[in-house]
Amino acid sequence: MNTIQDLFSGFMSFLRGMKITGANLGRDKTTVLYPYEKADVAPRYRGLFVLPFNEANGRLNCTGCTLCIQACPTNVITLTKLGAGKHGGIQDFQMDLGRCMFCNLCVEACPFEAIEMTTQFELASTDRNVCVFPLTSLAQGGAAAAEKNYNTISTALAAEAAEKAAKAAAAGESGGHGAAHAPKEGA
Amino acid sequence: MTSGILRSRRPIRAAEVGLGISITVAIIAIASAIPHLPWQLLKPLTSFVARYPLLNALANAAMVANFVALQCLGFIWLERKFAGWMQARVGPMHVGWKGLLQTVADAVKLLLKEDIVPTDADKPLFALAPYLVFVPSLLTFMVLPFTSAWVGYDLPLGALFVLSISTTSILGVFAAGWGSNNKYSLLGGVRAIAQLLSYDVPLILVMLSVVMLSGTMSLTGIVTQQEKLWNIAAHPLLMIPAFLIFLICTLAEVNRAPFDLPEAESELVSGFHTEYSGMRFAFFFLAEFANNFFSAGLAVTLFFGGWLGAGLPAAVWFTLKTLCVIFLMMWIRWTLPRLRIDQMMSFCWKVLVPASMALICAAAIAGVSH
Amino acid sequence: MVNTATTEQRHTVEVNLGPQHPSTHGVLRLLVELDGEIIVSCRPVIGYLHRGLEKMFEKRSYKQTIPFTDRMDYCASLNGNLAICQAIERLGGLQAPERAQYIRVLLCELNRIASHLVFLATYATDIGATTVFLYAFREREKCLDLMECMTGARLTYNYVRPGGIPQDLPDGFENGLNCFLDDLLKALEENDRLLTGNRIFRGRLEGVGVVSPEMAAAYGASGPVARGSGLNYDVRKTAPYEVYDRLEFDVPVYHTGDCMARYLVRIEEMRQSARIIRQCLKDMPAGEIMCKMPKIFKPPIGQAFSRTESPRGELSFYMVSDGTPNPARVHGRTPSFVHLGMLPAMLPGVKIADVIAILGSLDTVLGEVDR
Ligand code: SF4
Ligand code: SF4
Repeated sequence: MNTIQDLFSGFMSFLRGMKITGANLGRDKTTVLYPYEKADVAPRYRGLFVLPFNEANGRLNCTGCTLCIQACPTNVITLTKLGAGKHGGIQDFQMDLGRCMFCNLCVEACPFEAIEMTTQFELASTDRNVCVFPLTSLAQGGAAAAEKNYNTISTALAAEAAEKAAKAAAAGESGGHGAAHAPKEGA
Repeated sequence: MTSGILRSRRPIRAAEVGLGISITVAIIAIASAIPHLPWQLLKPLTSFVARYPLLNALANAAMVANFVALQCLGFIWLERKFAGWMQARVGPMHVGWKGLLQTVADAVKLLLKEDIVPTDADKPLFALAPYLVFVPSLLTFMVLPFTSAWVGYDLPLGALFVLSISTTSILGVFAAGWGSNNKYSLLGGVRAIAQLLSYDVPLILVMLSVVMLSGTMSLTGIVTQQEKLWNIAAHPLLMIPAFLIFLICTLAEVNRAPFDLPEAESELVSGFHTEYSGMRFAFFFLAEFANNFFSAGLAVTLFFGGWLGAGLPAAVWFTLKTLCVIFLMMWIRWTLPRLRIDQMMSFCWKVLVPASMALICAAAIAGVSH
Repeated sequence: MVNTATTEQRHTVEVNLGPQHPSTHGVLRLLVELDGEIIVSCRPVIGYLHRGLEKMFEKRSYKQTIPFTDRMDYCASLNGNLAICQAIERLGGLQAPERAQYIRVLLCELNRIASHLVFLATYATDIGATTVFLYAFREREKCLDLMECMTGARLTYNYVRPGGIPQDLPDGFENGLNCFLDDLLKALEENDRLLTGNRIFRGRLEGVGVVSPEMAAAYGASGPVARGSGLNYDVRKTAPYEVYDRLEFDVPVYHTGDCMARYLVRIEEMRQSARIIRQCLKDMPAGEIMCKMPKIFKPPIGQAFSRTESPRGELSFYMVSDGTPNPARVHGRTPSFVHLGMLPAMLPGVKIADVIAILGSLDTVLGEVDR
């Protein structure tokens, strides 16, 4: 009799599982059809570098103090100073992103906000030389970088959270549970 | 219930599903109209062919082979889409409308691929194996009754023919496992033999019980027997368990999860066809899907009244029912984990065989009291 | 081919599982000797991913070692960051501000969830239930999105610094996190019905790969492997670090010691992590996130040892300072390496399908084994 009971409960467990996979047939899909549509990237995302260019005085923010070089664990950055001394500016600035870990240490080390990271993540190439970014492709008008708000989450996540909160609020009004996200006790 | 990340919301539109179904139905309708086309215009040709048995056989074989290949294309697309939707993905999307032509693209890719034969392989065996697997699965289609008229050859011993022919594909599987000279392939081949041989026993017994109730071994005969009531409704107490056992056995016969041990990806890389590439691999693939379609068709024939049904043309009924059974098999495949070899064997010999024995006895009693 | 003569005498075959095999999760090579489907012996061969990280640490300043710990346990890199930063802090006598400690704990637990979801996904695939893979990764994707909003990376976070954390929580993070936790608990409950209760799944795991408490202790097992064997050992409880002593959570312990027990421990840990995260969000004080740091960090001569509970077990760093800006010696005690050592004792006598189940249940990450 035990065997039959076991068989029956096993069969029921299969049905329970099939109910879930079946329900997922009609659910929303999570695929992002990548080359055609792109995922939303968080503002803090650590991608390709820029060296902001100050339009007011027509100079790069970078002073050539080499602090970023000292901070980098993998010797990505090489630069040529323009003038003598610590803050003489730079003539050339080269980053070999083939060795970069995108660890953010150089950005944190820079005291002049002269090196920043963007959300540009499509950096793959089949040629190692393409990974070496010279100053001309790194320097960028400062406006875009300055406007970036590092202190937000990605718009998609924010929208989803807002939608859920609205839903919970609506449920609360119609006599459901009050607070949108009262912390539940762990099961 | 909302789920998934907002940025990638992709509901399946009802229209999309509707369109897919209506295209399928349209194809089936065209197919079912084929017997009513003005074939008499071709009379000189057909009578010429009919005069020479060899030519006739060749023409029939070509038709069956083409049908199997075409049906596989559609079927593989369906399987991929269903798998995708069940797994919160979208399935193939790139080639053709909603990826309809993806399978064609894959077939072309497989044709163009290099045909690799391992150095130490047993070359004749290695080359022969895909055909040893593919031919039996083609042959079985010969006796499958799509409608009362549309059946390759209505053998009086159709059920027996199916059983004996489909069992021979084991040879091919083992030839592949042995001939590849690869330890994974060998293990897969040995597993396949153990599995296919053991699951043939309850399969035969269950089919026998249906045959006993119908009193005929001809597949068309079994269907016409169900004119009044489908088998599954006529003897529900007997036939529902019989159908379940049949379903489990066919899952094992076509190496589908939870019985995909011979090609268990996470254990044996790809099992008996690990070393195959290009068109040879495609033959294994084709055979598997052809087998799958055939098993579903057989289940419909045995339990769900074959082509019988009101309103729609007979071939449409048959295909729709078969698709339903196929869908059930896919659903099971994408839900359940894989069994271990000892569990697989003990389940067969300790549960399925006694159960099907009991079924036979019950069928005999039911047949007598009829 | 080792010992060909013996294998021939014993009528066994040797099979290389890996280094390119779907189920070794990385570049692990298992040299198993098979008698039919039964394993006679097994020898793990490691080192395919060796990068000499410990030597690399010695050539870099203290802060520069952190990104390398991302590459050890890449499924839970924040725990690696935290472990090495704690060692550095102990060397230099630094103390992270309270808010930073809460955020560290919060993120480590979030990372634990992500890591266990990877375990769930790959383990289900190993057993043959491919669909669970996609469901678990759907949840993990949301988790990684949150981590990305916070740290700027999806896998190699490099987010903890000696003395605190580099950036505060972004606006709106809390709402996103609450959403995710709701979804996660729902998904876990669904998974219980889909996978945990499944008769085949249970049949494949129960009684397989049993580790006795004595064996677990003898091999130095920790984390879910030890707790699945009935050892109530969790560094977060036995030697609390950061703010774990102020948080309320249970340590799931199962006594059967089989694969199922280890699986259940991890599933339950995700729920506990969710609980911890909710408490962190509630209790977190406002304030500084970074303590005062000298411009060039040169800790006094000495040594330090840190212990943390990573998703895989006890992850520790031992660090020696000689007063220069670079550490003189760093050693990482990684749980995966220890657990992999148990394999040769666990495998003989089981079926080949069980190898995959047992290996998966140890949840080793090869980046951590080879370093
Ligand atoms: S991100 Fe890290 S590795 Fe890359 S340049 Fe900056 S410091 Fe160097
Ligand atoms: S980028 Fe910043 S840290 Fe690097 S040299 Fe320029 S100013 Fe100095």
